[in-house]
Amino acid sequence: MIRSGLLGIVAFAFLQGTALGQMHGKHASEAACDEPTLRCATKATPAFGPDGTLWLVWMAGGQISVASSQDKGRSFSAPTQVTTKRLNLDWGPDARPKIVVDRKGGIALAFSTFRDEAFNGQVLYTRSADGGKSFAELKPITASNESQRFEALALDQDGTVFAAWLDKRNRIFAKEAGQKYEGAGLFFTSSSDGGTTYAEAKLAREGTCECCRLGLAFAAPGRPVVIFRNIFEGGVRDHAVMTFADVSTPGEVRRVSNDDWQINACPHHGPSLTVAPNGTYHVAWYTNGKARKGLFYAHSRDEARTFSAPMALGQPGRNPTRPFVLAGPAGTVMVWKEFDGEKTSVQMTISRNDGETWSPPKTISSTSDTSDHPLLVSNGKRTYLSWMTKADGYRFTAIEDQP
Amino acid sequence: MRFRFAGIASLVVLIASVAALGASPALKPFERGTWQSVLKGHAGRPTLVHFWGVTCGPCKVELPLLGRFVKEHPEIDVVTVSADLVPNLPGATQSMLDKAGLSSTENFIFNDGFVERLRFEIDPSWQGDIPRTMLISRDGIITTIEGSAEISDLEKWSAQQLAKH
Repeated sequence: MIRSGLLGIVAFAFLQGTALGQMHGKHASEAACDEPTLRCATKATPAFGPDGTLWLVWMAGGQISVASSQDKGRSFSAPTQVTTKRLNLDWGPDARPKIVVDRKGGIALAFSTFRDEAFNGQVLYTRSADGGKSFAELKPITASNESQRFEALALDQDGTVFAAWLDKRNRIFAKEAGQKYEGAGLFFTSSSDGGTTYAEAKLAREGTCECCRLGLAFAAPGRPVVIFRNIFEGGVRDHAVMTFADVSTPGEVRRVSNDDWQINACPHHGPSLTVAPNGTYHVAWYTNGKARKGLFYAHSRDEARTFSAPMALGQPGRNPTRPFVLAGPAGTVMVWKEFDGEKTSVQMTISRNDGETWSPPKTISSTSDTSDHPLLVSNGKRTYLSWMTKADGYRFTAIEDQP
Repeated sequence: MRFRFAGIASLVVLIASVAALGASPALKPFERGTWQSVLKGHAGRPTLVHFWGVTCGPCKVELPLLGRFVKEHPEIDVVTVSADLVPNLPGATQSMLDKAGLSSTENFIFNDGFVERLRFEIDPSWQGDIPRTMLISRDGIITTIEGSAEISDLEKWSAQQLAKH
């Protein structure tokens, strides 16, 4: 019996060991490794500086780091660690660190952490004034202790940094009043000192979907424009655009499309927005509504008062996801991911007539394990795909179909 | 020999009970092929599979309601799957299941960083929105409820399943 008991203990240990091994196996992680290095990153976000330097911020091993490249992503400088200790960074599917680089070379960053065990978020920001050699101490973007996530940063022509995020601070007031509180509020602020300090946060819109990334751009100098998944009447989570009158004055909520996705859930799948130099808004989004399902694109030439008919993107059987659109020097480019059961590919299409017609989609990259969202970035001359993959590391690729 | 047999038998019982104990508090890893095993393992029985995640607001509201449903409907097999993208929070996941009264159901947690592939196996059109509930009838017909399920709909489906039997 003693022998049996021992065997039992051994068997128990074996079972436990197997379970733990499975739970902590390398394959179980989105990351290739657990160091703060770029190779281990799960999310990486690029930005070009005024001198053509490529800057990259990434999250890896619970830390945020920044490095630069002078050769279009072939090699990177020694990274500067922005965080001084491992943090519980927001690992939600649509979360990522944000970066803007101003004309003087100042680098403003923002990212979210989970501040407690209930996964309430906190948006932190910092800035480098010495070309990325060091970053200021991390500060919360707002004094509120309620949950904030999905921040977005954009740089105005005059160097103003505009920030928007989703914020649940009004949940508590609704609760006190015995009212139902759905989603989150779209909050915003701006910084006139390059991201050193931010003005007091303001509410732009209550009742937005709480778990999708925002799209942010400038419609014109001083006029930020945000795309977000709104909660319309009846719990319909369709997309809306808001163009600000100036960096402190929100505008009207204008619906992008009537997809009729009535759902009480976290779609974890936010939209993308770019504004062409002529003022055309190009938007791409995911829906699973009654009216349409899948990825779609539309444009507006009247500041979101009206949009073109939604154009479906991708092959429906290949689960098209994570669209990103960018108006660049050679045209408007869109990328998204598709999955064929084994591999994820990045599909690309380009429009040279401001979104009227688009080239047939083509595969520009693929990988056989998990990957970040595909992103586009432009240096004013060319548009590039930025894509972090677990199996193949970081990829920075010029969109080929350009002059 | 008899003693030896008894010893082996008690060892088997011990391992089985340890495994059972392990299954209750320990979450099972949901990996490639797990979905087919779940379908096979519950074939012929009405089964409710609930996908959720610890960071999902609507899930937090729905989970205790599901806990109550489980208690009131022992005739329905209930399986939960924590489908968050980074499956490294078994503690938080288990704690939420326990609080919701779902400690004794068959509970899985996504354990493959390549979530696109896991989701594709379950439903190629699913892009990861949670909560999500799949109702599998005795004859294998799957009805998917996107977003929070209305408990009244679950009651209705459950009654239909019993009536068919």
